Amino acid sequence: MKRFAIAFSLVVFLLMGSYAMYYSSTLDRTYSGTKLSEVLKPEQNYDLEKPDGVANIMIRENLKRTRAVNAVTAVVFDYRGYDTLGESFILLTAIAGSVVILKSNKKGSDTNVK
Amino acid sequence: MSNNRKVKDVIVKTAADLFTPIALVLGFYIILHGHLSPGGGFQGGVLVASAVILIYLGYGYSEVSKRFNMEFIKKNEALGAILFTVFGLAGILYGSVFFTNVFVGIGNVGDLISSGTIMFMNDSVGYKVLTGVGFLILLMIGLLAPDNEN
Repeated sequence: MKRFAIAFSLVVFLLMGSYAMYYSSTLDRTYSGTKLSEVLKPEQNYDLEKPDGVANIMIRENLKRTRAVNAVTAVVFDYRGYDTLGESFILLTAIAGSVVILKSNKKGSDTNVK
Repeated sequence: MSNNRKVKDVIVKTAADLFTPIALVLGFYIILHGHLSPGGGFQGGVLVASAVILIYLGYGYSEVSKRFNMEFIKKNEALGAILFTVFGLAGILYGSVFFTNVFVGIGNVGDLISSGTIMFMNDSVGYKVLTGVGFLILLMIGLLAPDNEN
């Protein structure tokens, strides 16, 4: 029963992931619906005065979208939230690892990590 | 530095007394105003955790182990991580994708309570970092402590 539950949930995740991949492949490539070839111009035609793409969104529409004055925090916690999630779980894992390593070296303690 | 001294230096002790509240207040300020001023959860959390080092320098390991409960701190770090994930999942509960900034509309721009989940995520990351780094520092200075000082 347990093996069946694991296999069933894995199959469900696989199907949902395949559908999400298929669905996202049918969407527009860029945020605003413009074609990708218009965004990725040749280097000599590139307009350095005007930011476009994600940089444009982050610079010009930051206050409207997130209402956070500090744009760096908006990037860290909103636009790149997955990055911060991974960072904080790296910290959790590092501390768990230090507990495992340092606990065995502890000299006869009482109130510390058990 | 000899760890066996019962009485620490007066200068070190006075400096610890002076700088511990400053570090705590500045750290909590940086955590709470992460979406308004430079800084954020990580930086402010490390500043708050540095108070543990200041107390250790001033008063030694016996005082530190008396004041801080390591089991409690370890559980609170996991609580901070869970809170951060819950605020990420709030996007799904509101009918959008993971890590969407929901309830953006609260407060005015520049207020302390504004910018939706960014503020809550910032505070939970700050809580997680201050407990996590504080726990790490406590663990490491526990190794430095001699046996008779426990």
